[in-house]
Amino acid sequence: MQSVSAPREPTQPVISTSSTILNMREKEKYIEDFDFPFCDESSKYEKVAKIGQGTFGEVFKARARNSNKKFVAMKKVLMDNEKEGFPITALREIKILQLLKHENVVNLIEICRTKATLHNKYRSTFYLVFDFCEHDLAGLLSNVNVKFSLGEIKKVMQQLLNGLYYIHSNKILHRDMKAANVLITKNGILKLADFGLARAFSVAKSGQVNKYTNRVVTLWYRPPELLLGDRNYGPPVDMWGAGCIMAEMWTRSPIMQGPTEQQQLILISQLCGSCTPDVWPGVENLDLYNKMELPKGQKRKVKERLKPYVKDPYGCDLLDKLLQLDPAKRYDADTALNHDFFWTDPMPCDLANMLAQHTQSMFEYLAPPRRPGHLRHHHHVAGAQAKPSQPVQDSGYQDRVF
Amino acid sequence: MPYWYYDKKDLQSTPSFRDGISNETENRYRKEGARFIIDTGSKMDLGYNTVATGVVYFHRFYMFHSFKTFPRYITACCCLFLAGKVEETPKKCKDIIKVAKSLLTEHKFATFGDDPKEEVMTLERILLQTIKFDLQVEHPYGYLLKYAKCLKGDKGKLQKMVQMAWTFVNDSLCTTLCLQWEPEVIAVALMFLAGKLSKFEVMDWNGRVPRHNAWWDMFVEDITMELLEDICHQVLDLYSPQPQSSGSDSPPLQTPNKQPKNEKKPLCVTPPTSVSPVAVTTKPVVTPIKNGSEVKIEPPKMEPLRYSYPPYPGLYPPVYTAPPPTIPPPPRLPITSGPPPGLVYTEPPPAPAARFPPVNVPPPNYFPPLPGRGPPPPGPPPRPYYPPP
Repeated sequence: MQSVSAPREPTQPVISTSSTILNMREKEKYIEDFDFPFCDESSKYEKVAKIGQGTFGEVFKARARNSNKKFVAMKKVLMDNEKEGFPITALREIKILQLLKHENVVNLIEICRTKATLHNKYRSTFYLVFDFCEHDLAGLLSNVNVKFSLGEIKKVMQQLLNGLYYIHSNKILHRDMKAANVLITKNGILKLADFGLARAFSVAKSGQVNKYTNRVVTLWYRPPELLLGDRNYGPPVDMWGAGCIMAEMWTRSPIMQGPTEQQQLILISQLCGSCTPDVWPGVENLDLYNKMELPKGQKRKVKERLKPYVKDPYGCDLLDKLLQLDPAKRYDADTALNHDFFWTDPMPCDLANMLAQHTQSMFEYLAPPRRPGHLRHHHHVAGAQAKPSQPVQDSGYQDRVF
Repeated sequence: MPYWYYDKKDLQSTPSFRDGISNETENRYRKEGARFIIDTGSKMDLGYNTVATGVVYFHRFYMFHSFKTFPRYITACCCLFLAGKVEETPKKCKDIIKVAKSLLTEHKFATFGDDPKEEVMTLERILLQTIKFDLQVEHPYGYLLKYAKCLKGDKGKLQKMVQMAWTFVNDSLCTTLCLQWEPEVIAVALMFLAGKLSKFEVMDWNGRVPRHNAWWDMFVEDITMELLEDICHQVLDLYSPQPQSSGSDSPPLQTPNKQPKNEKKPLCVTPPTSVSPVAVTTKPVVTPIKNGSEVKIEPPKMEPLRYSYPPYPGLYPPVYTAPPPTIPPPPRLPITSGPPPGLVYTEPPPAPAARFPPVNVPPPNYFPPLPGRGPPPPGPPPRPYYPPP
């Protein structure tokens, strides 16, 4: 730290000669030695393996040094190239994680720091420390040996919707729903994770319109209203993602893997029908409604095309309700939780037994690429590279072409 | 979670105090730092929430570090910079520094070092660790509005009262009240004060039940008159000019050889210890409590009434519309730097003319003295300020 330098007026003695204040050296020592009572050093954990790449930094599995059995996930806050100091996205994530305390939301234990030394120019690096979860849903789905029964799928979806119900009740949008951000402990408890894109939302009052960025949600899970440029969206954006994830429980890979926003919209239209003011009043007012190519005359085939995989009629019906084009008609978390799917035989059933057969941690980051999904008989895009593009560059699905 | 509330003993034995800075001087540094955040924030069109969050960070920071280690104005900039991001009203660091430079003397700005932006960046990490990343801070403003909605009575008078209370809340940022009491309690106390001063007596309120003696019993339990008075006096003490008896300028600064030309003759705001209303030593020790816990408050000590001059706040024309969206214009008691050390005592300069003529605020001696600072009432103190149950 360069710290308190002398006033430039030549008439004044340089400050470092003053006995009343610390000179630069003293101040550096002060910072190095200060024992921040609320912020432990990250060295209390020992890194075991890299398990992922979040929106703003790497994620590691680590072990608490004072207990061999206690594992945590440490997410590094990337601060290089930050012109404006501690990233506002990280501040948002921290604020939101501090607010959200629920069984189905990942738990932030603490924030740790590295010691400030000359070596790092007296600037600490920070880690968000979470309870460790053994698997993520994308990792589990990519492993053919992991088989979910219908009751287990119901349990996954019930927990996922419970988590969404909780965060939406707290006026938080996740904005990056995807299988890789759904963690599952070895005991079968599901946790929504990665709030790096989350934000608080307000219910738009008349005459006052929210202006959120629509460059959110990994492309394959992005709802049609975002693709059409809506900036006044809300909880339904997460519900669309929940629908995509639910279908994936059976198809075992993302159901709509568009390489571009335009292609994603086409894939959606082919599955859910054309976006018209008939089925979606007000769609014509969205910014990109006239700028994007929107297939006309497409029939809605959600149930028809998912039935071969899902089989369960209640499951098909709930998917139909979650994959509604019109966000106003899309089920919210509460309504979805009351759907017959969760209240008919087989009832939701604990995942712990099934997971006990797998001793290996399964993360998408560490998994081999998943085999292409089965909903691909529409629109092969020759030469186009499948990339979920915005906003997350690292979904790990890059090498699959649809 | 860390507990961000301190009792008065803790507030006296701070890192700065242990570092040789008197309580009076520390209070002045805190006041100057807070005022500087308010002024900088206002100049940048930042809202009251952002400004207040920055000030709370500032006060919390100096419960762990000394003003000698970290000069106050750069810390203030850093707090405002972080608060801007946290409250979703981000400002560029270089812009904050630019405004800071325009508001500070060259001498004070020198504490920012050779590369002010880099200094702020390093300091930000220290700030975050010190406040335990406890970013979300609540302020009295929201409660003020919520409570006001429940009060019945003359709409105009109520509006006036809310406006005045709002101003008090702004000014309370210059005290350590946010380190002593939850925002709910501060809101109640300053509405109580504004009610007194604007002659708005709350006779009835929505949601009243027989066991409530006062409207605030609906919102916060166990608020005593003594507590309310203590809080009100801490704010009112801001408005009593006192000759400076102690405290040099910011420790990191050397004595300037000349009084900078652009600085007005300082109006001393740090009271001497002898009559110090700010000096916490002369006040009864009130143990901060969480809502609902037992309160044990000693009777306040006698002190002469100090409502002579300068008058109360609210001397800028209250705007009787909705509560102001931003911090109102600068204070009527401009807080400039203290006199150069060596100038030990001067007569307090005449109070500055109010920036704006008072509007609808009666002259000072119109104000009924606050209860509790007069002679002790014989027997159990009456509770004359609200209707009996």
